[in-house]
Amino acid sequence: MILSDQEVQFFVNTIKNSSGYDFSEYSEKSLKRRLQKILIDNNSDLLGIINKLKTNKNFLEKTVKDITVNTTELFRDPQIWQTLKYRILPKFSENRNINIWHAGCSTGQEVYSMMILLNELGLFDKAKIFASDLNTDALDAAKKGNYKYRFNIGYLDNFDKVIKENPFNYEEYNDVPYSKYFKIDKVTDSIQMSDFLRQKPIFRQHDLVHGGDLYFAKFDLILCRNVIIYFKYSLQNKVFKLFHEHLYTNGYLVLGMHETMLGEITSRFDKQGQAYRKK
Amino acid sequence: MYKAVVIGGSAGSFQVITKILSSLPKNFPLPVLLCLHRLKHVRSGFVEALSIKSTIPIVEPYDKETIKPGKGYLAPSNYHMYVELNKRIALSTEEPVNHSRPSIDLTFETAAQAYRDKLVGIILSGANRDGAYGLKKLKHAGGLAIVQDPNECQVKTMTEASLKLTTVDHIFTTEQIISFLLKLK
Repeated sequence: MILSDQEVQFFVNTIKNSSGYDFSEYSEKSLKRRLQKILIDNNSDLLGIINKLKTNKNFLEKTVKDITVNTTELFRDPQIWQTLKYRILPKFSENRNINIWHAGCSTGQEVYSMMILLNELGLFDKAKIFASDLNTDALDAAKKGNYKYRFNIGYLDNFDKVIKENPFNYEEYNDVPYSKYFKIDKVTDSIQMSDFLRQKPIFRQHDLVHGGDLYFAKFDLILCRNVIIYFKYSLQNKVFKLFHEHLYTNGYLVLGMHETMLGEITSRFDKQGQAYRKK
Repeated sequence: MYKAVVIGGSAGSFQVITKILSSLPKNFPLPVLLCLHRLKHVRSGFVEALSIKSTIPIVEPYDKETIKPGKGYLAPSNYHMYVELNKRIALSTEEPVNHSRPSIDLTFETAAQAYRDKLVGIILSGANRDGAYGLKKLKHAGGLAIVQDPNECQVKTMTEASLKLTTVDHIFTTEQIISFLLKLK
């Protein structure tokens, strides 16, 4: 099924006119692919989808969720977590509070990774964790903190790399049991995060397109990983400005492995790998 | 007359691709888009391994990076790599297609939409069918379709699947692929 740019535009306008969601500044290629998938999953042509969007609020909400991409892992890209562990988080150890915002937290794996790391560094109690996403189903999953075991066996490798091993000293090995943070049940195929972790974050629905002041707070650290790849350059810049406003001076923004900041906004940050320090 | 080369490969393609990349002139006039499957746990080190052999610089691009001639762009591990119509790279973590992320089909299909008949597509050795559909799209858009000679492939599933789906322009050995690329202006 090949969709034209005009058809995608028609779809975006319909959603915009029927709800508060605006996908007009989303990257074309992924958006088109998401829409194609929605047509196939619903076994419908575009007009059928458009009519349903206009008349059925539940379908509209579901479609909005289907557009968003929710790929995430526990300690995804261990090298970024090692940077957080050895270079960034220690800078906040003398702070009275550490405010952290996971913008686009999806199903929560990144939030749990952060809390585990903070606990290992002795910073858990002074940290405040905020986590937001557009997709309320993803947020519900994040609050539950329950993940498939077999499909996600790589989580344990990542955990070992970040929590147990020290890339700068191979003789150091910190044998932290998984059970300190989550329960693995192979029979029910589940990884269940512990309650003390689950109770900590403040989860909120939030659409980065609209910006605004979500938590009425400023942050020492904002993580937004593999979210802005779905945005056009113009929207990326708006989001970077939003993050800049909500960071303390010397606070850090951490992006995904292959995301980068472009344009004028870069002058307001000091780039250190995937981490950007607010000047 | 061509504006870009896109290459897809999987099992058995590493030696072929390093041979190709080490044979290109330093001032190769086109960008080379590479979508190669790798083992799931091999997340890093791949681009370095290719760079050691390659005469042109190889990068795992950033999202929205502008595609430039004379440079190789390797689809990063665990991301799909698309070409936008404005000749920039777009990355995505959408679900794997035919168990593959990066998906060769998606890189080929989007490159074909961006470069139309100014694109050369090459499918190398591989153990699955990824790339066959993408090569068909490329051919349909007017691009030049090349498949590595299955008799030379370590694993021929991918090239045979491509040949089944599309009437290609050339079935070439590695040496023939190289001499073809050296003639591109």
